[in-house]
Amino acid sequence: MGTRSVRRRAANAAFVAATALATLVALAALFLILWSLVSQGLGGLSGAIFTQDQPAPGSPGGLRNAIVGSLMMCAMGMGIALVVGILAGTWLSEYGGQSRYAHIIRFLNDVLLSAPSILVGLFVYELMVAPFQGFSAYAGAVALAFLATPVVVRTTEDILALQPGALREAGMALGAGRAKVIRTIIWRGARAGLVTGGLLAFARISGETAPLLFTSLGNQYLNLDPSQPMAALPTTIFQFALSAFDDWRQLAWTGALLIAGAVLIINIVGRLLAREVSHK
Amino acid sequence: MSLADPELDEAPHLEPPPHDALALETRGLDFHYGNTQALHGVDLGIARNRITALIGPSGCGKSTLLRAMNRIYELYPNQRAEGEILLDGEDILARQTNAADLRARVGMVFQKPTPFPMSIYDNVAFGVRLHGGKPKAELDAIVERSLRRAALWDEVEHKLGSSGLGLSGGQQQRLCVARGIAVEPEILLLDEPASALDPVSTAKLEETLLQLKKDFTIVIVTHNLQQAARIADYTGFMFMGRLLEFAPTASIFSTPRLTRTRNYVTGRFG
Repeated sequence: MGTRSVRRRAANAAFVAATALATLVALAALFLILWSLVSQGLGGLSGAIFTQDQPAPGSPGGLRNAIVGSLMMCAMGMGIALVVGILAGTWLSEYGGQSRYAHIIRFLNDVLLSAPSILVGLFVYELMVAPFQGFSAYAGAVALAFLATPVVVRTTEDILALQPGALREAGMALGAGRAKVIRTIIWRGARAGLVTGGLLAFARISGETAPLLFTSLGNQYLNLDPSQPMAALPTTIFQFALSAFDDWRQLAWTGALLIAGAVLIINIVGRLLAREVSHK
Repeated sequence: MSLADPELDEAPHLEPPPHDALALETRGLDFHYGNTQALHGVDLGIARNRITALIGPSGCGKSTLLRAMNRIYELYPNQRAEGEILLDGEDILARQTNAADLRARVGMVFQKPTPFPMSIYDNVAFGVRLHGGKPKAELDAIVERSLRRAALWDEVEHKLGSSGLGLSGGQQQRLCVARGIAVEPEILLLDEPASALDPVSTAKLEETLLQLKKDFTIVIVTHNLQQAARIADYTGFMFMGRLLEFAPTASIFSTPRLTRTRNYVTGRFG
């Protein structure tokens, strides 16, 4: 009995040590990435980043065109993703249930969830860019929507499934139809969770480069016309980071820091909202 | 001695209220969950402006019977009821009876409080708004009257705009009662409404129900025998999907006719 307990304790200690080590490695990697981002990017951060467009090599400038482009395309993409995703997720949770059709939709959504983003970019290129003979922010937004929608579908279905069945029955018991119960009771109860899902999807697409390379292309000037090519932070970073110019590479670091900071903030806000939901 | 002892089999003993006093009546009601039959030929008469309690061991079908009376079971595709449920002489199981209209006439309060994620006012107004817009002043009056009847007004008078989720369990349940009666149903169904409440809240809810029977017909499912004895005018004892004994509450508890009923109400069913 004594040796067994010793052996068990030793095995336990070894396992705890191994998991702790693995955690440490993951955290160290994350910390190194953040550290290089902050140390390299912070130096370039200034008001000019937000007020001036990207410069020619050797001249002063900022990232305004890319920041504005990213915000516009992400917003348009999220607009599409929220409408399609919330409706599809609601159907899966409230109407589809365990039907065969619902299982197929769920499976396809999971496939889309893990689809390589560069494939999505190529698909939208064939869908929108090639036929209309031009890169555009519309195409970029659609590509981003393809990536965000499955995230919204999944989170919507999960969060609606958490709403108690008794709440649905209570609404119906007052004489409300199913659609009315969903709109006025279920969605309202799940509001914070739906916002969280949207924020997580937004965080997911805000750093995407590959789907934009074939769709919105990039633009060295500030452009507010979505039918024209548009700059975005990830594509600009891609372009500048590979360049031979020190000031461009500095801008790339600063742009990367901006994206990382934005994603971090969005994630924190999303978690806080989710926690508020679970406390109710 | 077990309740399920086959030697106890006796014919059901039913003393329903006089026929012209009935608000609702089931005739030969069968109920199926998929391939499982949960109710067998239930004949139950619910007296108008009285409280009728349904008691019996878990799984005996009392909640099922209640859920047939407003057709809430229709939410689930594999559940179905056969037979007749007459509300003012009209068969509510008939296909032409509109479920939404029916549920405006037969309200329901559930085991766990189910306040909607909205303000106290909007909770009570929910059903009223559903069945046709009313001017603000009239709606205000309905909300106040319903909350007063549910004995909740004094506690929420100054916070009608705050969330219904912020109330205590007992208050939430009375809010659900207020919400249910705001649409002026004829019948109010309550499915173990006090099982999640503490004794003080339970007493308050029972007091409320006794007041409400002046205006409404009440059917309550309960596991709490004292509760049935305290508030019900009629009590039905159900067992394995059958209504075994149905009579004025006093005789169910003091002079039950069937051995099974006696064993159940005296707690001898180990």
